[in-house]
Amino acid sequence: MFSSLMLVSLLVLTLPIMSSIFNTYKNSTFPHHVKNTISYAFITSLIPTMMFIHSGQETIISNWHWMTMQTLKLSLSFKLDYFSMIFVPVALFVTWSIMEFSLWYMHSDPYITRFFKYLLTFLITMMILVTANNLFQLFIGWEGVGIMSFLLIGWWYGRTDANTAALQAILYNRIGDIGFIMAMAWFLFNTNTWDLQQIFMLDPNLTNLPLLGLLLAATGKSAQFGLHPWLPSAMEGPTPVSALLHSSTMVVAGVFLLIRFHPLMENNKTIQSLTLCLGAITTLFTAICALTQNDIKKIIAFSTSSQLGLMIVTIGINQPYLAFLHICTHAFFKAMLFMCSGSIIHSLNDEQDIRKMGGLFNAMPFTTTSLIIGSLALTGIPFLTGFYSKDLIIETANTSYTNAWALLMTLIATSLTAVYSTRIIFFALLGQPRFLPLTSINENNPFLINSIKRLLIGSIFAGFFISNNIYPTTVPEMTMPTYMKLTALAVTILGFTLALELSLMTHNLKLEHSTNVFKFSNLLGYYPTIMHRLPPLANLSMSQKSASLLLDSIWLENILPKSISQFQMKTSILISTQKGQIKLYFLSFLITLTLSMLLFNLHE
Amino acid sequence: MSLVHINIFLAFTVSLVGLLMYRSHLMSSLLCLEGMMLSLFVMATMTVLNTHFTLASMMPIILLVFAACEAALGLSLLVMVSNTYGVDHVQNLNLLQC
Repeated sequence: MFSSLMLVSLLVLTLPIMSSIFNTYKNSTFPHHVKNTISYAFITSLIPTMMFIHSGQETIISNWHWMTMQTLKLSLSFKLDYFSMIFVPVALFVTWSIMEFSLWYMHSDPYITRFFKYLLTFLITMMILVTANNLFQLFIGWEGVGIMSFLLIGWWYGRTDANTAALQAILYNRIGDIGFIMAMAWFLFNTNTWDLQQIFMLDPNLTNLPLLGLLLAATGKSAQFGLHPWLPSAMEGPTPVSALLHSSTMVVAGVFLLIRFHPLMENNKTIQSLTLCLGAITTLFTAICALTQNDIKKIIAFSTSSQLGLMIVTIGINQPYLAFLHICTHAFFKAMLFMCSGSIIHSLNDEQDIRKMGGLFNAMPFTTTSLIIGSLALTGIPFLTGFYSKDLIIETANTSYTNAWALLMTLIATSLTAVYSTRIIFFALLGQPRFLPLTSINENNPFLINSIKRLLIGSIFAGFFISNNIYPTTVPEMTMPTYMKLTALAVTILGFTLALELSLMTHNLKLEHSTNVFKFSNLLGYYPTIMHRLPPLANLSMSQKSASLLLDSIWLENILPKSISQFQMKTSILISTQKGQIKLYFLSFLITLTLSMLLFNLHE
Repeated sequence: MSLVHINIFLAFTVSLVGLLMYRSHLMSSLLCLEGMMLSLFVMATMTVLNTHFTLASMMPIILLVFAACEAALGLSLLVMVSNTYGVDHVQNLNLLQC
């Protein structure tokens, strides 16, 4: 019952794709079909989830045996355990709201049916990723979400920025895929399988190499420092794409992969330290970059990157369940933040620069409400959704035996979260309007209101709801000094007040020349500027020089033939004293010969 | 010395004098070189055949091969000079240039 319901829910998702072969594709109600399909799939998947919560029994469905290569058996298997059972309803709920939102947002797009088909294909591949029981199926989902991300970022393909952003996403993800394939190869060699059960049962000893590979894969997919520039560039895609892929679902695939491998990671201290430091660097760096951006979607994108860094930090302190909880709660308020920004952008006639917004507090009350609640949930205000995961993470990091530098970075990044959230609210909502007087501000569409309303209720209550209904996994730290308990709240309030004071004080000042720190933050730490120009140039020029210059022109041409001829010419010019009187020389030769023969009578 | 030997020896000497004393064309010097080679070849072949010294009958043939090589070299030098000046007058060779 349990397993078949879950399979039904997953199968229902594929129905609109298959029906697109028939004529419903041309119909203008196809998007509505898709939205309804996802809502049915969501409700259907709630039943197995509730059964799972009640009984705590995990299931593995292994139905179709694909092939066997000598000792490796590959089959289609779904792992329905704690992680996938809770993630699937959350993802379906968020996707349902985003589909409804994009019915409003992409209303005037002529290819709206294709858009919905792409979004649905993305959702299916994401579901394949989270329910995969073997690495091969996970890789299928992994690549699938990468491809759909490429197609969706480059949705408005007439724009060169969108094309380069899509290509950037593919390239950075590919670098991460190298790590994934290395891990797959290592597992195949050392544990003879790609099934997760067998890997965890065998519990190999020296897991440094595969876990490094998985960490690289997570760095690529979840935009950690080093492979992060694709995420802000991916904001070239439409807002529903940013809301679905690049905040809730695709970018958490990397974190999800590391969470799946937590039995191997909890025994390897080195990889944990690496993960911790990588996550700390990411969260602080992207929070710094978010402080001075002017595009509202880019600020939210950097916020996503910062929260992903926080999730990686949580894995680094050996708390996979807390990281997973943060994934689920983060999906709600981040998707809602993106949807609110989409509502603002559409209302102001496609204006994305926060310096040209303002005074929307009275003009768009519903969007204002949800933006403020979303920001508060993001920063971890007590008893909203973000609190249940973020505060627990900070508390656990404070009370655990961990790297003090990484902890300090995380705390600073937490306060910076409040700073840039305040910045968004201040510039977009408060003050006097800075947009053009002829506006088309309208948020009265039921699609928009209903979808944001659903996620709003989720942002407020979902944390409480999920935390109280899951079974206990790792025990959180119960006792700690008061100052440690209040650390997250204190730095957040510090960030809020600081940002508000600074914004109010400097609001009407003259524009000064930018300081070096400002330029560092605004140009994303100079990372894209350097890394997109220098290494490709170095690589290509080195390969050109070594291919044509080194082999052909030096070894085949210059070393023997030309050097010999040069040498001969130079030396002959140097030591020659002749003047070219050949007849004289020949004549002297003849006379010498005749004289010697006559005078010395050689034959006698 | 028999008359045949004197005849061929005289041919050799005439070619040698022609090689060392010529008016202006380099080509005549090369032709006399070939004449020297020819007379040497005939002399060697006749001596070997008369004394039935079969083991040495390689020698004229090898001499021929090497003479062909040196003729090619001489001709290439001639072509180089002719490329620069158009004719191979030997009085042009008073300016060394590389």
